[in-house]
Amino acid sequence: MSLAPQDKLSRSPIYRQLAELGAEFAEVAGMACAMGFGGGLEAEVEQAKSLAICDLSALPRAGFKGREAQSWPAAQGLVISPDNNMSLVQDDGALVARLADSEVLILSDLACESGLCAAITQAWSPDPDPGVYPVPRGHTNCWFMISGGHADALFAKLCGVDLRPHKFPLGAIAQTSMARLNGIVIRADLGRADVGGTLAYHLLTDSASAGYMWMCLLDAMAEWGGAPVGLTALREMDT
Amino acid sequence: MSSARLPAPAGALIDREQPVEFSFEGRRHAGFAGDTIASALMANGELVLSRSFKYHRPRGVLTGCGQDANSLVQIGDQTNVLADRRAIEAGMVVEAQNVFGGLENDYGAWLGYLARFMPVGFYYKAFYKSYSPWRLWEKLFRRLTGLGVVNPDAVHGYYDKQYLFTDVAVIGGGPAGMAAALQAAKSGCEVILVEENKTLGGALNYARFDADPKPAAKRRADLIAKIERTDNIRVLTDALCNGWFTDNWLPLFQGNRMFKLRAAAVIVATGSYEQPMVFRNNDLPGIMMGSAAQRMIRLYGVRPGKRAVVVAANGDGYGVALDLLDAGVDVACVVDPRPAAKPCERQNAVALRGVPIIHETAIAEALPASGNRGVVGARIARITGEGQLAKTVDRFACDLIAVSVGYHGTANLIHHAHGKMSYDDAQAAFVIDELPAHLFAAGSVNGAYSLNAALDDGHRAGWAAAKDAGFDAGRKPASKSKDSGASPNYPWPIFAHPDGKDFVDFDEDLQTADILNAIAEGYDNIELLKRFSTVGMGPSQGRHSSLPSVRIAAKATGKTVNQTGTTTSRPPFSAETFGHLAGRSFEPVRLTAIHNRHLEAGAKLMVAGQWLRPEYYGDPATREANIRAEIMAVRKNVGIIDVSTLGGIEVHGPDAAEFLNRIYTFAYLKQPVGRARYVLMTDQSGVITDDGVACRFHDNHFYVTATTGGAAAVYQTMLFYNAQWRLDICVINSTASYAGINIAGPKARDVLARLCDDVALDGEALPYMGVREGHVAGIAARIIRIGFVGELGYEIHVPSSQGEALWDALMAAGEPENIKPFGIEAQRVLRLEKGHIIINQDTDGLTHPHEADMAWALARKKPYFVGMRSIAIQHANGIERKLVGFTLVEPDDPAPKECHLVIRGAEITGRVTSCAHSETLNKVIGLAYVAPDQSEIGNRFEIKIEQGRMIAAEVVALPFYDPDGKRQEL
Repeated sequence: MSLAPQDKLSRSPIYRQLAELGAEFAEVAGMACAMGFGGGLEAEVEQAKSLAICDLSALPRAGFKGREAQSWPAAQGLVISPDNNMSLVQDDGALVARLADSEVLILSDLACESGLCAAITQAWSPDPDPGVYPVPRGHTNCWFMISGGHADALFAKLCGVDLRPHKFPLGAIAQTSMARLNGIVIRADLGRADVGGTLAYHLLTDSASAGYMWMCLLDAMAEWGGAPVGLTALREMDT
Repeated sequence: MSSARLPAPAGALIDREQPVEFSFEGRRHAGFAGDTIASALMANGELVLSRSFKYHRPRGVLTGCGQDANSLVQIGDQTNVLADRRAIEAGMVVEAQNVFGGLENDYGAWLGYLARFMPVGFYYKAFYKSYSPWRLWEKLFRRLTGLGVVNPDAVHGYYDKQYLFTDVAVIGGGPAGMAAALQAAKSGCEVILVEENKTLGGALNYARFDADPKPAAKRRADLIAKIERTDNIRVLTDALCNGWFTDNWLPLFQGNRMFKLRAAAVIVATGSYEQPMVFRNNDLPGIMMGSAAQRMIRLYGVRPGKRAVVVAANGDGYGVALDLLDAGVDVACVVDPRPAAKPCERQNAVALRGVPIIHETAIAEALPASGNRGVVGARIARITGEGQLAKTVDRFACDLIAVSVGYHGTANLIHHAHGKMSYDDAQAAFVIDELPAHLFAAGSVNGAYSLNAALDDGHRAGWAAAKDAGFDAGRKPASKSKDSGASPNYPWPIFAHPDGKDFVDFDEDLQTADILNAIAEGYDNIELLKRFSTVGMGPSQGRHSSLPSVRIAAKATGKTVNQTGTTTSRPPFSAETFGHLAGRSFEPVRLTAIHNRHLEAGAKLMVAGQWLRPEYYGDPATREANIRAEIMAVRKNVGIIDVSTLGGIEVHGPDAAEFLNRIYTFAYLKQPVGRARYVLMTDQSGVITDDGVACRFHDNHFYVTATTGGAAAVYQTMLFYNAQWRLDICVINSTASYAGINIAGPKARDVLARLCDDVALDGEALPYMGVREGHVAGIAARIIRIGFVGELGYEIHVPSSQGEALWDALMAAGEPENIKPFGIEAQRVLRLEKGHIIINQDTDGLTHPHEADMAWALARKKPYFVGMRSIAIQHANGIERKLVGFTLVEPDDPAPKECHLVIRGAEITGRVTSCAHSETLNKVIGLAYVAPDQSEIGNRFEIKIEQGRMIAAEVVALPFYDPDGKRQEL
């Protein structure tokens, strides 16, 4: 039986929209997460290969900002790209995005098997001053994944940055205006590239504008038949 | 098939298997899929598409490609549709515009008889004085002017926008554009080829480059096939590039979408406009560009007339004659204004078919059919000098006059990009002198008119653009053209007639005499001439009037054409719809985590910055009562308000206190951990810009709130200053991270205590302006004891994802006390009773703290804060106004409104900033700026309210309510 989002204290900013679309919820990291929309896993996987959006707002994420934003996380074992606006997948599947010399963003893997976000949050202490400070990414940003072969075309309707795969490599980050909102876009294809991975992007943007962004994305993807999918489909594709 | 319809292969764009019925001016017509409205009408013998703007003269096809105003029609709600571009659709209802009583018998044509009374500049001369009869005439002119009828109830269409990116953009899919795209693509770069029409080919689709049309047709097919085989060329047909903007940003319109194309390099291969000849009655239906006649034949399979006179001042004109002959048109003669010389191949072919070719002649006058609805003949005369004709004339009966006397480059995009052009007398054309970086030109817009020259020029431009875009383009392609380079442009195709109707500008019904008269009146600068005469200001924007008017102006002023110059061409290139501009615009809306609970509680929402916030709850019909009830709930009981929209900014680091000490006016170095302190921000000029509270949770950590509308600016200001100060801090905007709820009222503590077991809430443990971290309803929370509304209150900040759960918990816990949500309006009155200001309501863009009576928020002993010096100077100079609290002397007087003026004699000394009737105090209270000498408590002043009524007010001490602060410090 599907979990009711309101049974949990933490709720996705768009849980009502998801419910109206027939989402089936399950608990992920303490929040109700849309796992599917009743159409069957196979159909949702096909949808995700073509064009789909998935709400990942329930998944753990963390951020750190400050002058030691590279050295301190590295001391905790994180592997950080030497270049700004690039991300690296960690051994446990988590993704560490270098937003600037003074800022990193850490995203859980889709399976939520990585404990990195929780571990590094636990490791942080204000005493002695570490020169790096937590950014409440889990609450500041909603988190969507846009996947499928039309994903880059979809973004071209919302964003002035060229996100086509041959111009925007795997792991690349764009911190840009998306439908007139500040957004972080990270290319993170689903599945292994050598066996035909699916083009996919993380999109993190203002959580207070999540409903607005969700509607913008659904509207923009309609011309290619884009639709929401649940986390289960993405997990299936990311194995 | 109608008599004007030609058999295949004529009509490349139409599908004869798909008949389409539509109506024009109430009459049903049949055409084929692919026909434009104009071609289908011509096939049905309908030559008149519209009436001219001023004299309502019948007009027909001129360019056949949407580059003139003759073809503007209305389809349903759509005005100014180009009949020679819009394809017919089954059931389409097409109407003429700008007609009175219908197109056929437009009684607006009587205006033509008044032409002598409406000289150029008529409006300026007749209506510029204050006593002018404009008011009498305005209604008539409003009715006479304008094109089409707008339906204000039109249904919104779906339009959107999309970015495109490419290395090389080629604008124009004619021979030069196709060659350029292919050449550029060889380097491996991405190419986008943009073509306005439905198919690639440009002039190859309709023009006759040689006596034998087959070689050009093969060139066209080969080029298109190569492009189709080239993976790195993306073709956009039916796509209009409507301008060039900085950094090669190009708006493309295709269907209901606007593409925003960014290109590393751009090639303009937009071709050229064929130019008309000026002679008497040159605007009649049946007189058209030679290329228009060819388009009708080649693209739509329509014979444009039965008997034609062709004006040919170049080889292309002879190509027109050949096409007309092939289409079964009887070509009465070819009028060639040039002296006889060595004939070109096409001229020889025409001569071989027995058509008389009359050199050094021009058309003196076209003879009109009844009602000017067509042509019945042409009078031609020998040219005796520039623009001069002999009196002896020959007359030729004809129903078609096809004119090919030269071209004017479609250089609009080059002008937009600030390319430099000049007039070349030898070419009789404006030529490109200089192009900006990353912009290239190819084809006839660049003076390469013949097919071979255009192809060569395209290859050159494609190579250069690819190289410019950073690709290895190899060696520069060699020129293969062996053309003579002779210009196709006749230098003076203007033959004024003493009886007028020799139109220079078809859009505005301007004749040669109009241009000359405007110059005679002193408007001899081309920009002034344009604005006074309106030449080039109609829908076709000078495409056909610019060149003749410049030539006429040059001759009349004794200057060269180059010295005369042209007017400035700005985007857009062609008319664009509001739908394209407005479609899919993004207007972000921010909603708090509790938003839906507000809706469920019947909140009436209001806009606050990007946020939507409850103004009040309940039925709008009882708005005032609802707000009063919310106020009284807070004063007597307990209420809660969603304050999630307040800015939340984390300031971390060893220098956090020092940073706040500099950025805000108060003192923060010694602020204890666990305490909140008011913050007031001023800018360098000492003007108040924001306020809030700073909560110290750690020696190195402050959580600072900001106003709803000011949060983003405060964050940016902090980053801006610390980029200079280089303090060891880190600023994080966490506005969206936290949901905030203020629970206020004498029973607030009782309610909160039921949900909070790890923070002592009593006044001693958590005093007024104390802050704690703990849990409320099991949710990690920051609890701030503050009292904006003047009652015992707690502001609870929790992660936004849990805001709704907290609201639910508080509402449930407060049920025994009948807890009530309250909105912005109630909060405004509550804070007014307490005398708290609202930034940007009680302050403006000039208010400094002394004026706002907020000197108490200035820490004078610290060495610096932003705006400190300015405030000190302002204080030393003395203030000119002061914010005071007031009540009304006569309690029954109506409450003034915000911005009602404080008046003393003839002087405005201030204005009301906030005012409301206080249910708690049972009187009107307010804040107002007054002169300093009016600000003493007890002083009376006058406020001018509606209808100029003056009411008396009295300055009173603030706050109005609970002056000792006992209620908020419970």
